[in-house]
Amino acid sequence: MGALGHFLEREGIPTVGISLVREHTETIRPPRALWVTFELGRPFGIPDDGPFQRRVLEAALALFAHTDGPLIADYPEHIDEEADLTGWACPINLAPTQTGSLTAEIDRLAVWYDRAVSTRARTTVGVSGLDMPTAGRLIDAALAGPLPEAQPLKQAIDDLKAFYLEAASAFPDPGSARTRKAWLWSETALATALLALQPRLAASADPGHRILGNLTLIPATERHRLTVAL
Amino acid sequence: MVKRLSDMPEVEARHLARIECPTYDDTPLLAGKPLSARRVAIISTAGLHRRGDRPFQPGDGSYRVIPAETPAGDLVMSHISVNFDRTGFQQDLNVAFPIDRLRELAAEGVVGSMASVHYSFMGAFPPAAAEPHAQHLAGLLKNDKVDAALLVPV
Repeated sequence: MGALGHFLEREGIPTVGISLVREHTETIRPPRALWVTFELGRPFGIPDDGPFQRRVLEAALALFAHTDGPLIADYPEHIDEEADLTGWACPINLAPTQTGSLTAEIDRLAVWYDRAVSTRARTTVGVSGLDMPTAGRLIDAALAGPLPEAQPLKQAIDDLKAFYLEAASAFPDPGSARTRKAWLWSETALATALLALQPRLAASADPGHRILGNLTLIPATERHRLTVAL
Repeated sequence: MVKRLSDMPEVEARHLARIECPTYDDTPLLAGKPLSARRVAIISTAGLHRRGDRPFQPGDGSYRVIPAETPAGDLVMSHISVNFDRTGFQQDLNVAFPIDRLRELAAEGVVGSMASVHYSFMGAFPPAAAEPHAQHLAGLLKNDKVDAALLVPV
C-alpha cells in the first residue's frame, strides 16, 4: 500500500494513506499516513457507523495540508474488541442430512443467505461465477479426484466462505463477527473439507496449488486446526 | 490503546512481520490546494472490482476500475489473502471503501469534488509488478483532474 504513495506522488498526484500496520509504514515511509489501530480489513473502523467512518476520513484528508514528511499521524480513537460471547452456539442445526455432505450444508444455509441478501440489499458472493451448489461440488471433486486448476478453485472457496458468513449474519441470534468466523472454522463441513484439501494442495507439483495450500486457503489464525485434521 | 505488532496475537504478528516491505531513499511530498478545492479519488488495495471483472491473481500488480456510480451490490472482493476480516466489508462497503462518506464530504463542500472513477489494486502485489500500472494510473487520475488520492488498505 505504502509503495503506491511513492509511485503516485512521484508522478504528480498527492497522496494520503491509511496505515493498518505501523511497522510496515515506518519501513516504507510513504508521504502521508494516518495510522489506525482497527482490525485488518476494517480501515474505517466500524461497519454501519457513518459518523465514525467520517471522522477517520476527515482525519486522513486533513493530512494533505502537510508537505513536511514522511508523516505518520496517529488516529486518536480506538475500538474495543468485540465481546467474546462465551457459550454462543449456532442456533441453527446444520448437521448435514448425509454424513459429511457439503452439498446438504450449503442447501441448509441457502435460506439464511437469502435472508441476509434481502436485509442488506447486496451480497459479496459472486467472484467465481458459480452458484453455491456447483462451488461445493467443485470442492467435493477436488477431494475425490484430480485437483482442479488453482484459480477457479480459490474463487469457488472464497465465494463459499462469503456465502456462509453472510448466511450466518442472518441467524436469529447471529452472535458477533468473531463468533461467526469461529463457527465457520470449527463447526462446518466446509471447514472440514478445506482442512482435508490443504495437504493435497501443498503436495501438488503445480505452483498455483502450492500457493493456495500454503498461503491463501487457511488463515494464519486457523492453521493450528491442520494438525487436528490430519 | 496502542496496537503495534507486539500487542497483536502472536500468530497474526508473526504473519505480518514476515511480509517484506520495500524501502525508498527519499519521499516526495507535493504541495496543493486547500481540501475544499481538491478532487479526491479512492485507491483501494482490497482487491475490489465489479462482479464479472477479472478477479485478482497471485502476483497481480494491475488495477481494476470502479466508476463512482457503481452500485454497492456490484462490488466484490477477490484479494487472495485470507488474513484479514471480510465480514466488515460484507456488512458495509464503506468500512473498506468509504465512497458514501466521501460523497457526503463532497456534497457539503468539505472536499472540492469526488473523482468520477476510483480504482483498486490487490495489496499483496510485488511493488515492481505494480509500479508501471501506478504510473499509468497517475495519468488517468490527472485526466480526471484528481489532485488528491486516498490510499486505503485492508
